[in-house]
Amino acid sequence: MLKKIQNACHKYKDNNAFFINGTYYTYLTFAQHISNVRHIIEQNHQADSSKLIGVITYNDIHTYASILGVLFSGYGFVPINPENPIDRNESIITQSGIGIILTSTNYPDLNKLNNIAPLKIINTAQIEDSKIDVNIPDIGEDEIAYLLFTSGSTGIPKGVPISRRNLHSFIDAFFALGYKVDETDKFLQMFDLTFDLSLMSYLTPLCIGACVYTIPSGEIKYTSIYSLLEDQNITVALMVPSILSYLRPYFEDIRLPNLKYSLFCGEALFNDITSEWFPCVPNALIQNVYGPTEATIFCLTYDWNKDIATEKSFNGIVCIGKPMNNMYSIIVDEHLKELSAGEKGEMCLSGGQLTPGYWSNPEKNKKTFFKYNFNGVERTFYKTGDLCFIDQDGDFMFCGRIDHQVKIQGFRVELSEIEHHVRVFTELSQVAAIATTDVIGNTQIILFIEKFTGNIDKLSNYLKEKLPSYMIPAEIKHIAVMPLNANGKIDRNALKKSL
Amino acid sequence: METNIIEKLNITFRKVFKDPQIKVYPEMTANDVEKWDSITHVVLIAEIEKDFNIKFKLKELIAMKNVGDCIRIVKEKLEN
Repeated sequence: MLKKIQNACHKYKDNNAFFINGTYYTYLTFAQHISNVRHIIEQNHQADSSKLIGVITYNDIHTYASILGVLFSGYGFVPINPENPIDRNESIITQSGIGIILTSTNYPDLNKLNNIAPLKIINTAQIEDSKIDVNIPDIGEDEIAYLLFTSGSTGIPKGVPISRRNLHSFIDAFFALGYKVDETDKFLQMFDLTFDLSLMSYLTPLCIGACVYTIPSGEIKYTSIYSLLEDQNITVALMVPSILSYLRPYFEDIRLPNLKYSLFCGEALFNDITSEWFPCVPNALIQNVYGPTEATIFCLTYDWNKDIATEKSFNGIVCIGKPMNNMYSIIVDEHLKELSAGEKGEMCLSGGQLTPGYWSNPEKNKKTFFKYNFNGVERTFYKTGDLCFIDQDGDFMFCGRIDHQVKIQGFRVELSEIEHHVRVFTELSQVAAIATTDVIGNTQIILFIEKFTGNIDKLSNYLKEKLPSYMIPAEIKHIAVMPLNANGKIDRNALKKSL
Repeated sequence: METNIIEKLNITFRKVFKDPQIKVYPEMTANDVEKWDSITHVVLIAEIEKDFNIKFKLKELIAMKNVGDCIRIVKEKLEN
């Protein structure tokens, strides 16, 4: 991958690599920024320091150059979103053990964090130019490329390390899908940099000398996305399906003839809205892609076809297709027995893109990964928690989550994590966070608390200190008696029905 | 007419953001209201359309950089 990016930096040096907040940056400029970051890392990194380096994520060229600078230096990056609560970022910094943090902007909370661990904070917007150096580091495939943190049910974010082998496996499998893309293409990058779908959106174009278009900071996302798609003639766009729900009232005004690939990932993609989207992107291949962070960005793909759209959907959810190169997927029952076509069970994944395991979490690893003999080879499989089945064509169909994990704006949320914090604050035990759909069809969280007499605003403020904004309940409801089912568990369906 | 629009918008904003104190002004943007994000924005637009009995075009939403733009577009729509 770095070889491809190195090649693009030389071959297409005058091409634009990025369009950020209205400014273009060429590959030559980008290579200069990468080299500057690389140089400063080499000056500051001690032999005994962590191989992971933190990057505070802002929408600017310095942040992207920092990520690539870390990779070109042979280290792994840990993206940290300055918008997230300080508690969460503190947990991420402590858990990952990073000693160096790169930031382009003064992030005031960093000073507080410096009290918990001695951090070397480097301002990447103020580095002097050094000699351009995009030489490939001599580094093993097992070294970590990046460490992302996802929602954890204990209230503590869970680290998912992705090795260089995992990332390279994704890049190879991505290009093996046969997209007709080259240095003239324009890719949309709409994702938060702590979300792994962002990696596809900027790394794959950088591999071929194409240009990455990012969403301007501080604007309403879906209108900015549409402006970019239309005004900049974007040709490749990976989006979360919720963007379609926002744009749906305006579909009749939307015509994007330049879009060649319209990819969706991160949440269930519904067939009805996809059929309505299709005339808006008359020349595009609509692709539904699937995969958890643990299996590097995405690892199954399905090319949507309007002629067989109904047959290739289940409960209105578009098919997720087949595994990409060097990936294997099976459906198992609760005893980890492989099920045959048509039988519903848990989707399990194995192959080159699969993480070596959760970060310092042997207990969770034991529960989530297992060995299984697949086609005569013993492989490690990961239990995704997704309920799926295989259809008669060998395509995978997604039916929903097995447990209480839900996707909100593409982010994976364990409802139990929200409940955990509510319990801590209220000291009440009967708490239930329920995912429901709002007026426009997007997922939102409603929180129910039994016998809650406290101040809702105070609780709400407490949650904002502990959780990122997408996990904050849209509404908090007091309930006199929590409905229970026969097993004595909170009857979530009854709560849902009460809404 | 503009004063009427502003008064009516105040009611819509208070309803959407569940804040009885909120007062709109032309320079106001999403950055000035804590609960104004991508999601509440959609609800806000839908409520304005309902309260004024108008329908925005996507191009108009894109052009709306602050409440002042919104007032201007609503006024144009009501005049036509």
